[in-house]
Amino acid sequence: MCAMIEPLTYFWLLLKASLFSTGGTGNLPSIHADMLARGWATDRHFAEALAIGQISPGPNGLWVVCFGYLTAGVRGALLAALAITIPPFFVLAVAALHRRIGDHPAMQGFVRGLGLAVSGIFLVVVVQLLNEVGIDWRSVTLVLAAVGLGLSNRLPIPVVLGLAAVAGMVLY
Amino acid sequence: MTKFLDDGPGAGDTRGNGVVATPLVVLSQAGPALWLLFRIWLQLGVQSFGGGMATLYMIRRAVVDQRQWLTAAEFTQDWALCQAAPGINLICMTILIGRRVAGIPGALVAVIGLLLPSVSITITMTALYATFRDSTLLQSALHGVVPATVGLGLLLSSSMARPLLAASWRESWGSLVVSSGLLVGSALALLLWHLPVILVLCCAGLIGALTAWQQTLRKAYVRHD
Repeated sequence: MCAMIEPLTYFWLLLKASLFSTGGTGNLPSIHADMLARGWATDRHFAEALAIGQISPGPNGLWVVCFGYLTAGVRGALLAALAITIPPFFVLAVAALHRRIGDHPAMQGFVRGLGLAVSGIFLVVVVQLLNEVGIDWRSVTLVLAAVGLGLSNRLPIPVVLGLAAVAGMVLY
Repeated sequence: MTKFLDDGPGAGDTRGNGVVATPLVVLSQAGPALWLLFRIWLQLGVQSFGGGMATLYMIRRAVVDQRQWLTAAEFTQDWALCQAAPGINLICMTILIGRRVAGIPGALVAVIGLLLPSVSITITMTALYATFRDSTLLQSALHGVVPATVGLGLLLSSSMARPLLAASWRESWGSLVVSSGLLVGSALALLLWHLPVILVLCCAGLIGALTAWQQTLRKAYVRHD
């Protein structure tokens, strides 16, 4: 069982992670590190939330709402929804800044550096999620199959995940 | 692109100059405009199955083709800005368009319209899952879904990094070395030394800013010679 969650800190951790990242899943590494450190979530929560977030409607960043529900019930889901709604409003500041210094190379360099770090860190966290199911021939095959299907771009993501679910029922 | 591969940073290479910030609607007409905005974004929120790129396409059709609230160029420019802003790109985009149409109240109304249906459905789906999560069949299904999510996550990570590395490659060898270093270095910083994620992100941003700045200074210097 997870440790008692303090709502304010919980909200701040989700908000902070989204403030300092871009895109719907850029906040994953930060949330992962903070929540695991406090014992407020397990790797399983992340794996489940990411999977449901992929299937449900809306931007894929709504995985945080699933995460909120799984770790802290309806209150957690609502706190999470609020935490991911606030940071995008900073786009107004970015637009204003861009009108003034958008073409400055340092600004573009900053955005690029940030993007590279997000990609690198994301890779580490995603691979760590495999610990949840164990690394063996079954899980590695499923990873490769998903990469292949994703690259081919033929099937919508929910269908790929549906196939994976069926494969899971057969294999495990 | 598919849902998982959509809203990473770095696709924002096509920046335009300056954004027109004047709302299209004056205050006296704001009531009906707000209501219209809310209705349109509510519809988009309900239909947003299939994820980021599909939703972006629907938004574009609604606000550029049908309503002519923005030109195609303004739409592209706004999307580029969203890549550099914190948080979910689709929400950023909703805010920028809402503000163009009816100022800050427009931005708020559009965001609520987009999120109300999708967040409610997401919570319902998670609650359903939580009810049955201990059934063995659901557990073995999840055993299959987790590796698939990892696979799609690998694709997402590479689709985030690729345009950034390609841009560095076009600039110079040095730039490519710095960019690859930032990519690998930040992964190692987390994996080996367990540094705080925010610290790694800030450092990478600063290194990126300093090297880009220093390179332009050097270029200017060479030209003066």
